Amino acid sequence: MKRSFFAFAILASTALTSAAYAADTIKIGLSGPFTGGSSSMGVSMRDGVKLAVTEINKAGGVLGKQLQLVERDDEAKNEVGVQVAQELINKEQVVATLGFINTGVGQAAQRFYQEAEIPVLNNVATGSILTNQWPDAKANYVFRNAANDTIQSAMIAEEAVKRQGFKKPAILADSTNYGQLGQKDLTEALGKMDIKTVANEKFNIGDTDMTAQVLKAKEAGADVILTYAIGPELAQIANAMAKLGWKVPMIGSWTLSMASFIDTSGANGDGAMMPQTFIEAPTTPKRKDFIEAYHKAYGGDRMPSPVSAAQGYDSAYLLVAAINQAKSTDGKKIKDALENLQTKVEGVVTVYDHPFTAKDHEAISSNIPVFGLVKGGRVVPAHPEDVAGDKALRIKPKS
Amino acid sequence: MNVLAQLVISGVVVGMIYGVIAFGYQLTFATSKTLNFGQGEALMLGALVGLTTINFLIGQSLGAFTAYLLMLPVVLAFGLLQGAVVEFLGVRQAIRTKSEAGWIMATIALGIIFKNLAENIWGRDALRFPSPLPEAALSIGPVRIQPMEIAIVLGAVALMIAVEIFNRRSIYGKAVVATANDRDAAGLMGINTRLVITFSYALSSMAAAFAGVLVAPITLTGATMGAVLGLKAFAVAIIGGLSSGVGVVVGGLILGISENLTGYYISTGYKDVPGLVLLLLVLTFKPSGLFGSAAIKKV
Repeated sequence: MKRSFFAFAILASTALTSAAYAADTIKIGLSGPFTGGSSSMGVSMRDGVKLAVTEINKAGGVLGKQLQLVERDDEAKNEVGVQVAQELINKEQVVATLGFINTGVGQAAQRFYQEAEIPVLNNVATGSILTNQWPDAKANYVFRNAANDTIQSAMIAEEAVKRQGFKKPAILADSTNYGQLGQKDLTEALGKMDIKTVANEKFNIGDTDMTAQVLKAKEAGADVILTYAIGPELAQIANAMAKLGWKVPMIGSWTLSMASFIDTSGANGDGAMMPQTFIEAPTTPKRKDFIEAYHKAYGGDRMPSPVSAAQGYDSAYLLVAAINQAKSTDGKKIKDALENLQTKVEGVVTVYDHPFTAKDHEAISSNIPVFGLVKGGRVVPAHPEDVAGDKALRIKPKS
Repeated sequence: MNVLAQLVISGVVVGMIYGVIAFGYQLTFATSKTLNFGQGEALMLGALVGLTTINFLIGQSLGAFTAYLLMLPVVLAFGLLQGAVVEFLGVRQAIRTKSEAGWIMATIALGIIFKNLAENIWGRDALRFPSPLPEAALSIGPVRIQPMEIAIVLGAVALMIAVEIFNRRSIYGKAVVATANDRDAAGLMGINTRLVITFSYALSSMAAAFAGVLVAPITLTGATMGAVLGLKAFAVAIIGGLSSGVGVVVGGLILGISENLTGYYISTGYKDVPGLVLLLLVLTFKPSGLFGSAAIKKV
């Protein structure tokens, strides 16, 4: 009898403390693909966010409360992303959500946050439309700290044509939204430099043979291959080029830094170049600390997707700065604080000094990313002079 | 390098893979007039079981080539077993009750279950399959080809010839042929036709599993790898004819080559169109397939 009373007392007290604990935390949603073809980006992003949240909680949390992450796998599927959004908003009642790797998922899911007036910090997905989905709405709750496709495609065109002097680019893009919208952006960016593509080819996700596409680019006399696709198919392109005994440089969107491209193309992928907001190199003290902390927490000596990890880490600090400034967890107040951040946030990618305004929800400007290069299974700076000395830290110009 | 020759050779390689999978469709259709719509998943499971086996063998410090050869019997045995399971769970009941569509739903459902199972065991990532042969391409005459691509063509032909010889020469094979010709008569002659049908399903999945480990080294292995291949092979089986072994080979080659030629000479965006147009034309003008004998269905 006595024993069962004790058991009850213990049960009751744990129930009470956990309820009290829940009220003392601030819930933040985290949505990304932790399984599937884009999981290397999703997992790195999640690890980056978790690292930041652990640091913040150790330092006393926010507004005297601890942060609590609610992680959900959106499987890179639009419909799952929508379910996750509804669960995070209605059931978990998160204060804000970080995440989104896939443009399609973001497009489908962000609508619910917009309606619920809960801010989203989009830290990896690059589709240009994501921060401008509702141009007529009074307020926009979607912010981003990733280099969008308009920036990336302009950089790719600039690098290929102006810096390296290629005249006959061929574009190879997959048939998804990501590939086709990127292909359009690239063609426009090249058009502005009066350069026409000699071949413009597509392929489906899961295609086993790229001979026709690569051969077409080769026979058209292409001197560079520009790509907009994801890891496995990019590796097929590099492998098909090797098979046909043809080697021209590959320059493409940041997905060329995906582990699935680097690992499956092996030596054939060496030399591929892509815009990167962060390269795993200790070029600033902050970056050095971040890289060391990351590997201490998660092991290994190479991040699966360094860009996603760094942007994930920074997104948590941006959000916390806004909550601190708003002195509230109200969605609207956090949004207003983000649009007018008074404190400088020292992140891994850059120092965020007034990163957002009411009109501009993009923290990453075109001067921030630099070109990375695949070399021996890692991404290294393509032009060491771009990251030398005080150029290592690139800051968004004041608007 | 000759562009046309290169395109045709690459098309032949892809076409032979389609052909082997379609060959599996043809095996079960001959004996039971049913198909395994989970054929793509049988291919995927074969490739993943092969991947686990070959990685284990390489872990025992065997060379990639030896490991690949030792892995083959494991995968073939697994394929036989998996096919028998599909027949037992999905098809037997439908045949017994003379259900017209039961086996269609059942084999599709089993395919989905196998895919989910694979996602849970091997994850959703595409995995690299160790190549048993050197990956550097060879220059043969006007074309460049990877050694593994030659192995695909030879392996596919060898498998189909082996199954055909088995069917024509051995007593068990003759039971299969007899069942294919007339199930009722074969049953009256004392052939256990139910067992023959189970066996044809086992052979069919074995062919698919074999195709899986053939194609895996030149692409990536993963739970979703079978979907597209299974569907294309289905088109091949329709084009070539479900009652003809030669038909599926020719059908596979037609589809593989036409994809590459269209991709190069017209547009890569329309790569899949001619195969499907051909499919529609065959269905309209010769529903039994280019090489099929006309089927008369008695009601």
